[in-house]
Amino acid sequence: MTDLSSSRRRALQCFAAFSAAPVVWPALAAEGGLPSAAHSDSSPQWERVAASLFAGRTPRAGRDVVQLHVPLRAAYGASVPVKVVSALPQTPQLFVRRMWLVVDKNPSPLAAVLDLTLEVGQADFETRLRVDEYSHVRVVSELSNGELHTDSRYVKTSGGCSAPPNRDALHLIGKTVLKLPAGLKLDQPTPADVTVVHPNDTGFELNNVTVMYIPPHFVRSIKISYDRRKVFNADLDFSVSENPTLRFNFVPHGPGELRAEVTDSKDASFVGTLLVSGAG
Amino acid sequence: MTRWLTPLRTWGLVIALWASIAAVAAGLPSRYGATVVQPAGVPDRYEFDLSDALRRARAEGKRLYVYLGADDCPYCRKYEAFLQRNADVLVPHFAKDYLVYDLRSSLQVQADRLRFRIGNQSWSYKEFMQRLGDERARLLVYPSVWLLDAQGKPLMQMPAGTGTFETVPEQLEILRLEQ
Repeated sequence: MTDLSSSRRRALQCFAAFSAAPVVWPALAAEGGLPSAAHSDSSPQWERVAASLFAGRTPRAGRDVVQLHVPLRAAYGASVPVKVVSALPQTPQLFVRRMWLVVDKNPSPLAAVLDLTLEVGQADFETRLRVDEYSHVRVVSELSNGELHTDSRYVKTSGGCSAPPNRDALHLIGKTVLKLPAGLKLDQPTPADVTVVHPNDTGFELNNVTVMYIPPHFVRSIKISYDRRKVFNADLDFSVSENPTLRFNFVPHGPGELRAEVTDSKDASFVGTLLVSGAG
Repeated sequence: MTRWLTPLRTWGLVIALWASIAAVAAGLPSRYGATVVQPAGVPDRYEFDLSDALRRARAEGKRLYVYLGADDCPYCRKYEAFLQRNADVLVPHFAKDYLVYDLRSSLQVQADRLRFRIGNQSWSYKEFMQRLGDERARLLVYPSVWLLDAQGKPLMQMPAGTGTFETVPEQLEILRLEQ
């Protein structure tokens, strides 16, 4: 291999890292001029998103109803762990009926909209999001009485030089796996994981062989049911990381089938199921 | 035809620019008193021995600031240049709590050839990251920094790359282990 092709490959490796793990190009960041913000600050992007989503209603900021847990610096900007913790159990008197996850500075800030039922039991969620640059990540919870509550965290991400992402498992796209990481708890909120093998291509990633952008191809929705009863529906965007994963709760009252129905942006449909029987 | 010329020219310019950046001397600035660790087993593998680093950390009651750079990595040069520019402010903070180790690698060395050794035990990059409980097991990124205690336990999860601590306040955040 010539020096030129070797250099080109290395340059591509760096480009691949920055496009696959959508992160800001640090070489363009002015020394000493990187933006900094408090976790509770607003941003112009958030003002626009909030105006569009909530039409004049102002979500109440605080951590007494909903909390967002995100590291200040994650290992990778392409896979930032995000955890939402709700203070209220899901009861008929008062429950979380909708939840929004927003990454202010991403090209498409609205990462997920969750439409919840009482079957969730406890409206706690975990997932991994792409964070494109220094940005606030936000959650907004809408309660059944119409109240909106929000919490936010400021996240710093960047990149470096790395090998291109592994794309050897494209034949597995759509494989949907459900697990109960803590076993079964009858009549109680039971944690479950759903993972969809999917590249969740953003449309901003560079193919380092063709030097062309990879077209967007991402999971659009995941609908979770148990024993044919809706638990929640999630509308998702490409801000969710590769191989989208959601940890959620559901309340099993007896044996049944936990089911995930998945559709992606090319209108492909996938189904994953887990037969749940007996106490764990 | 014209459609192909433009990207090729662009790549050429980018490569030339990056090559010129990478041509600057590699490694952490001397004022930080870093101990340079060269890899063993080259070229089949690049194995970095951390035994002495841990022994010194225990003897001196200090933490380890372990930097993995590559000789041809523009982002490594950028971080090193940042440290050089701000040495007057940063060196005392590094010196107070940390022993700095500078592991010298190359971009062509990816996770499959990178290894770490402590005493008579040797681990691949992935194995070592898993042993540390470090999320960066998934992908090796240059440059990388690990903050370890004298027993070799990670002090906090660090990000891939150094782009989020290339200002003085942010570098100090890291040294103070703010998460």
